[in-house]
Amino acid sequence: MNSYYAATLLVYAAVDIIACLALNLQFGLSGIVNFSFIVFQAIGAYTAAVLSMPPDTANGAYQVYVGGFQLPFPIPWLGGALAGGLLAVPVGLVVLRKLRTDYQAISLLVLSVIANSVITNARPLLNGAAGIAQVPGPFADQIDPLSQSYQLLYVGLTVPCVVLVWVVAARIANSPFGRSLRAMREHELAATALGKNPVQLKMTIFIVGGILAGLSGAILVGYIAVWAPSEWLYPETIILFAAVIVGGRANNMGAILGALLVPVGFFEVTRLIPPTIGGWVPPPNLIPASEWVSIGLLIIGFLWFRPEGVRPEARRIFDGAPVGEEP
Amino acid sequence: MLAARDVHRHFEGMRAVDGVSLDAPRGQITGLIGPNGAGKSTLLAVLAGTLPSTSGAIVFDGVDITRMPAYARARHGLVRTFQLPSEFAKLTVLENLLVAAPHHRGDSLLGALLGKRYWEDDERRLVGEARALLARFGMSAKESDYAGTMSGGQKRLIEIMRALMLRPRLLLLDEPMSGVHPKVVQEIQYYLEELRAEGLTILMVEHELHMVERLCDTVIVMAQGKVIGSGTMASLRRQREIVDAYLVG
Repeated sequence: MNSYYAATLLVYAAVDIIACLALNLQFGLSGIVNFSFIVFQAIGAYTAAVLSMPPDTANGAYQVYVGGFQLPFPIPWLGGALAGGLLAVPVGLVVLRKLRTDYQAISLLVLSVIANSVITNARPLLNGAAGIAQVPGPFADQIDPLSQSYQLLYVGLTVPCVVLVWVVAARIANSPFGRSLRAMREHELAATALGKNPVQLKMTIFIVGGILAGLSGAILVGYIAVWAPSEWLYPETIILFAAVIVGGRANNMGAILGALLVPVGFFEVTRLIPPTIGGWVPPPNLIPASEWVSIGLLIIGFLWFRPEGVRPEARRIFDGAPVGEEP
Repeated sequence: MLAARDVHRHFEGMRAVDGVSLDAPRGQITGLIGPNGAGKSTLLAVLAGTLPSTSGAIVFDGVDITRMPAYARARHGLVRTFQLPSEFAKLTVLENLLVAAPHHRGDSLLGALLGKRYWEDDERRLVGEARALLARFGMSAKESDYAGTMSGGQKRLIEIMRALMLRPRLLLLDEPMSGVHPKVVQEIQYYLEELRAEGLTILMVEHELHMVERLCDTVIVMAQGKVIGSGTMASLRRQREIVDAYLVG
């Protein structure tokens, strides 16, 4: 394994871990079925891109996009995170206030489809279906992005973000605030009758999740340097849901495990499938299509046989609890 | 303590609550009885704010709470329980009680992000309060069990304890004895008498008429969304139309 491949794997793992921790806060801890999660990652990526890129008249004006502010690191990453949080406000206010959980999920799925269609077809906004390319990563003007040292630098910038997101997710999950979120997930009306404001709780965690999703998109686009609607089709959200379900809902370690097993591990394994099998050349779309089938089977299999995931939600036992009540 | 005046709740023309006026006096247990479909649980939900009223006024301790959302009414001291079990199944029994604890420094995003040191004093104090309640209700040994694994009667007790954690001034109980083993019914009755002795006001929907007779100072009878009578159980048994409507046998 060369260092470029290792760095790529680590950055993808970091992005998926951040995304899964964010989705776990919304879905695992709070019960919000955010089927538009990938849109929040996408807005983070687009925002970071247009904040770091030069105006679209540069480089021969072969692509069109709004902005182009050429701002230095870390502004694009912070901007991406902020954009994810800001998008969560109107979406949350429309979807989370009145609708029942299943209708929330449907609305968010529809939002994901609509957002992708709009960006694909409104070319002046973000260069349409072709997407935007040559997005400069952090310090790309000072270090050659193709050099080994830049790969290490990028991993070095990404790891603290993962640690920070882990701390945020752990503090929320293990706090009385996290307990209120779990209570809301279990029985919203009962939580309301105990003085919890469900709209405030849902909006808060939806915005937090949006910020973290935006950050993950910003980190990813700085590394791969391109971002197009094909990167954030709605099934991408399903992969993240599969990761959280497989890893274990409402368990941050489970979310990390799921991120490593499904989006990273699962798709890496398919790279090992040989191009010909005993002289037989499979159709070109067979492997990508079988990946989606496998993801679907994985979700169904876990929901059927082990709905709590590999690492189930931990039972909270307090100091001084009567002995003999261990699980 | 709690006064409802001409309260209506309609569902697309169906008058579930049809001009109800009632009072729940301070420090008393008021019973709300009536046949199935009389509108008792709907009225309780309207009083607690979990269902909005179509019209009418609700005043709690001198404050008009008619347009106040349910969570604000609960913080104001008007706390309800539910007819069907409403435990937080994947939280432990102790956590079920802690969820209800008011004024916890860790119960906000900022408090959570500031870390355990910021809120652990509150947590320690409230765990102590919750354990005292568990001991009082004889459920200390169950504190680390998931609430979803408890029996029907234990779930009722959890609901009552959870409501008490909020330090209510008025408790709205929706059929607290329903589906509960007779032994637990006796326990619940004992606890409710204790709470009344401590000055807590209770408005209770209940079908167990013997319990209503023993516990309630005043009983209100509803039928077809309206109040058709009120008084002590003994006086209600003497009213022909009430006996015909509900108290037959």
